[in-house]
Amino acid sequence: MKRIKWTIMTLIISLSVGGALATAPQHDCRTDPQYYWTGSGYMPAGAWGATYLCDSGIDICTYTTDGFGNYTGCRQGEYRLITGINKTQKAKAGKK
Amino acid sequence: MLKRQVLLECISALLIMLFLYASLSKFLDFYTFTGEMNNQPLPNSWTPFLVWFIPCSEILMCIALLFERTRLIGLYASLFFMSLFTIYSLFIVFNFFGRIPCSCGGVIKRLTWNQHIVLNLFFVALSIWGIILQRRKSFKSILITKNSFV
Repeated sequence: MKRIKWTIMTLIISLSVGGALATAPQHDCRTDPQYYWTGSGYMPAGAWGATYLCDSGIDICTYTTDGFGNYTGCRQGEYRLITGINKTQKAKAGKK
Repeated sequence: MLKRQVLLECISALLIMLFLYASLSKFLDFYTFTGEMNNQPLPNSWTPFLVWFIPCSEILMCIALLFERTRLIGLYASLFFMSLFTIYSLFIVFNFFGRIPCSCGGVIKRLTWNQHIVLNLFFVALSIWGIILQRRKSFKSILITKNSFV
């Protein structure tokens, strides 16, 4: 009985480890098109480092999609539009 | 007696397979898992604790289910966790939090929230069945031990 038990358990453990390794993502999500949550929907995030940045934070900065309407978090932090910041800075400068 | 033992081994094997696969999937893609935890409608301050607590608990449950002496603890723990996941899934489905996040974790993330509930309920039932079988077995072995002393 013990031999059968340990044979089953070894098989189950191998199957779980093998399954987890086989289904683990093989690519970096950061190479996929990125989207950000506007509060009401998802919009293309832009070009990383050129038009947007992810400031440090524990929220999700950008998401990737599987094409079926499911979005998964990818980059972590606070989404910050680089051009948006410039506009704000210009507006502040104009007020002064 | 033998049939009950085989059934118990099969129930434990299925639960081990689920928890081991789920925990390893989380560790193998830890970055995405952390992001997905942040995306859940729970306070983000819980994330640093939950990202370690959930997969580590799953591994501990596997170890407990593997050995005869700790199996009952493992079965109770799996019943507790699976019930908790089911209640959480029900909250999501009934839009209790106001939004529906992704359902995550390896191949399991391909399931919808309704399919998640069915899967969770199956494992809740399996844990209850395992507890009943294990308790009966423990009770009988106590009786046998007592009778051998008489």
